[in-house]
Amino acid sequence: MSNPQIFFNEVNERQGEFGRRAFVFGGLLGLGVVALGGRLAQLQVIENSRYTKLSDNNQFDFRLQPPPRGLIVDRNGVVLASNRPDFRLLFMRDEHMKPKDVEEIVDRLAKLVDLDDAHKRRVIADIKNAPRRAPVAVVEDMSWEEFSRINVRAPELPGVTADMGEVRVYPFGGAFAHVIGYVAKVSGNDVPKVGPIDPILLNPGFRIGKQGVEKSFDPVLRGKAGARKVEVDVKGRVVREDPAGDIASVPGSTIQLTLDADIQNRALEVFGEESGAAVMMDCRTGDILCLMSAPSFDANRFVKGLTGPEYQALAQYDRKPLFNKALTATFPAGSTFKTMVALTALEMGVSPDKTHTCGGAFPFGGHVFHCDKSHGTLNMHQAIVTSCDIFFYQTALEVGPDKIAETARKFGINQTFPEIHIPQNKGTLPDTAWKERVFHERWWPGETPSFGIGQGALAVNPLQLCVMCSRIANGKKQLMPRLVKSIGGKDLPRGDEVPDIPVDPEHLAFVRKAMADVVTSGTAQLTAKLGLGPIMMAGKTGTAQAHTYKGARGTVHMEWAMRDHAWFIAFAPVDEPRYAMSVLVEHGGWGASAAAPRAAEIMKVALLKDPEIRARIVTPLPNPEPVGANPDGPPVEGAAPEAPTPIPGQPQQPTAPPPLPPAQQIEPQ
Amino acid sequence: MTVSALTRPGERDRLIVKLANIDWTFTLLLTVIAGIGGVMLYSIAGGSWLPWAAPHLIRFGGCVLLMILLAMVDLRVWFALAYPVYAIGIVLLAAVDVVGHSALGAQRWLDLGPVRIQPSEIIKIGLVLALARFYHSLSGRDARLSWWLLIPAGLIALPMALVAKQPDLGTALLIGATGGVMMILAGLSLRLVAVGLAGLVAVVPAAFMFVLKGYQKARLLTFLDPEADKSGSGYHIMQSKIALGSGGLLGKGFGLGTQSQLNFLPEKQTDFIFSSLAEEFGFVGSVAVLLLYMGVIFMALRIASVSHSHFGRMAASGVTATFALCLMINGAMVMGLAPVVGVPMPLLSWGGTVMITVMVGFGLVQSVRVHRYSEVTSGRGAIL
Repeated sequence: MSNPQIFFNEVNERQGEFGRRAFVFGGLLGLGVVALGGRLAQLQVIENSRYTKLSDNNQFDFRLQPPPRGLIVDRNGVVLASNRPDFRLLFMRDEHMKPKDVEEIVDRLAKLVDLDDAHKRRVIADIKNAPRRAPVAVVEDMSWEEFSRINVRAPELPGVTADMGEVRVYPFGGAFAHVIGYVAKVSGNDVPKVGPIDPILLNPGFRIGKQGVEKSFDPVLRGKAGARKVEVDVKGRVVREDPAGDIASVPGSTIQLTLDADIQNRALEVFGEESGAAVMMDCRTGDILCLMSAPSFDANRFVKGLTGPEYQALAQYDRKPLFNKALTATFPAGSTFKTMVALTALEMGVSPDKTHTCGGAFPFGGHVFHCDKSHGTLNMHQAIVTSCDIFFYQTALEVGPDKIAETARKFGINQTFPEIHIPQNKGTLPDTAWKERVFHERWWPGETPSFGIGQGALAVNPLQLCVMCSRIANGKKQLMPRLVKSIGGKDLPRGDEVPDIPVDPEHLAFVRKAMADVVTSGTAQLTAKLGLGPIMMAGKTGTAQAHTYKGARGTVHMEWAMRDHAWFIAFAPVDEPRYAMSVLVEHGGWGASAAAPRAAEIMKVALLKDPEIRARIVTPLPNPEPVGANPDGPPVEGAAPEAPTPIPGQPQQPTAPPPLPPAQQIEPQ
Repeated sequence: MTVSALTRPGERDRLIVKLANIDWTFTLLLTVIAGIGGVMLYSIAGGSWLPWAAPHLIRFGGCVLLMILLAMVDLRVWFALAYPVYAIGIVLLAAVDVVGHSALGAQRWLDLGPVRIQPSEIIKIGLVLALARFYHSLSGRDARLSWWLLIPAGLIALPMALVAKQPDLGTALLIGATGGVMMILAGLSLRLVAVGLAGLVAVVPAAFMFVLKGYQKARLLTFLDPEADKSGSGYHIMQSKIALGSGGLLGKGFGLGTQSQLNFLPEKQTDFIFSSLAEEFGFVGSVAVLLLYMGVIFMALRIASVSHSHFGRMAASGVTATFALCLMINGAMVMGLAPVVGVPMPLLSWGGTVMITVMVGFGLVQSVRVHRYSEVTSGRGAIL
């Protein structure tokens, strides 16, 4: 490189070369810009619709709006399950949030709301497992103070929002826990393995029906989720609402049950700490008025989520509070089944005047069958009233097991009723075909006497016995039980829109008369009186063996789990039956002493709530005050008598029933 | 007041004549682009002059004055300062490596009390000046193919290596490409250019394997398949394409670009300002802005070609090359045609340092125009 000599030729040469190359360079840049323009045309003009959609996906978010869950009300509109507001803290993880950030935010939240370490760990796990942009409920049931505190701080807590949801509430807690069931958090089993998943299931804090009516009618109660269209920024925060784009939710339908809250509540009350079930039907329509299982539990606890120890306590308690005994506890029917045996004999043409003689013992087939006492010679009416076993041993042998089973089937034994919509245990109704099928063995004649008094392999649930009793009481229809009155205001078919029962009404009247005398002069004469003047109850006691006896029979003096199960079936009023029921007291001892008084108490509520019945009660009640004093007045809300007559087995009641004379306390097997 | 090659030298040196010889159309074009930048910055701030729009416009106003001031500077002064500026740039780059201020995992800033200097910006101007001065003194034949060319190659490679080490891959490539373009414009043998390009193709995979840092590799891989990682590195490209594509023919309207307004678009005020613009003003608006840029480039290249001095030609074309490459790289990046490298859109993007560099460069270009008839020599006639 020398000292530059600037000659024109040199200048021209370099300038010319530069000019040409600069021209080409400019041309190339021009091509580059054309290429960029082409790319813009491709993105903005040709693929515009695709990117517009993606942009909308960014900009708009549809926030699921869970509809209010349908109410569950009783026959009079008393709310059995409703919803209450619930302040919740939600957390939504966006695309950029790392696990470390999540933990940091949860730590900061713990300073604002009550979060212990275990809860914190669970929340962090929940958030990490949830799909991105799916909100997770961190805290529910916050206080108003916590709710407002979070709302104020939300801008500095990315992904955190406080909102108001709804949570299920059961105002009566225990009384309806079995029949209504409860809702609880969605678990894996609740999500269908195939087919579309209702997006509402993924909503934070959404609860699905797990038991009872809540489960059976979950789709109806759930409704259809709507969506709120919102404009969000990159952090998922709502910038603007767009009400025009909202999708309305469809609220869940109200389900009206045929139950009566007053009767049901009273039923739970009279059971005290006893275990058992009470079922009542309107024996004109088939409506279930009471379907109660005791002891019970507070369904609201399940909505919140039980802790391990709480659940253990419920599951391990030997009176089995989680079990719906009204539908699934099956025991021998005991002497209540004698109504079926009597009807079989009558239907087969056996004269009601035919007598058998009871000497206290009946030898048959190498066995000696006992009666609790020597009843002497009695006809069928007397045998039902005194519940003589030996009479029915012989009657059963006369008619045979198959005929008895055939009759029992007509009355609903060994059946499940789909109109209840809750799973039932259908029990066992033995006959020769059953024996052959199950044991591959023929029916031994020695099994028939036990069957004749409702023991042996026979197993029935309280609902079946109630249906049986209501069909006897109705006297005409093969009544079907109905639990759900209407769904969303639309009535369901009634239980009396059914064919007649193929049994002679005269024979049913005969059994009703005998059952009436059970209460006036028979096994339940001191324990099943209503005290409602002319309104009388009819019934039949029953005691089911809880185990095979060795030595003494299972009475109240024995250990609870060894005692017999007490049954009582009843209907009232005697002269024009309206209400039929069955009561089971598990390990209650005698049907007459444990079950019959409870049945009378529950029945009284139903009768006193019925204005026509109350009009008939002209004589004042033995209790000084309440309803009877004003018979023509309107039905009192919660018509349970204000001073209920004493309930046996409840030591806190100051006036225990008078001790029964030994002769009356005896109840045939 | 027009000037020509025949105007007396004393006449040309009068300030009023010099001012009249500034290319005011060119200045207007720059102002329009910067103004559009201001409008966009106003929009994406949610209709607010702060924090970006007002400072951007004020800064541009200052830069226009700076440009006019620099246009008055005699080309021989630029010539004399070429190597010193380059040397200062190199020294500062080296210093940044030792005591630099770290930002986003890269050491790019030099903190000098109240002033923060980004030496990579100084070297952009320094390199253009140094190469222009070198080629000014080199014969056309030597510029085509000679051992002398190792000197410009070294002048380019040294800052490139220092900037790449920061690491700032985008700027390093920009410096390299600018230098390369200047060498070609100076008359480099086209055969050598072809060989060089072939060599580059061979070297790139190796460089990818051994030279690049993890995040740089990720960016490149993401560019090749942006859909693969929507929430990570691919997010930038994807969101930018959504912004562009959803703009459509006429755009969503001023202030209504949801991608930028709702922050889905990352770096919306700097690297991705063009995406915001294309979203709100659509294909028509973005192509119009590209045409404005093209106008700037063509006018600057014209200024370069009419210069009587080789130094002027080379300097003006070097500045133009830097500007044009910035535009191309940023444009290709926001449209998903190039990997995400931190190269802003000149004049449109928020950012003071880059704007000063660009406008100092255009001050040089204006100076080349004002002094287009001046002869520049390194010996006699040099004023410094």
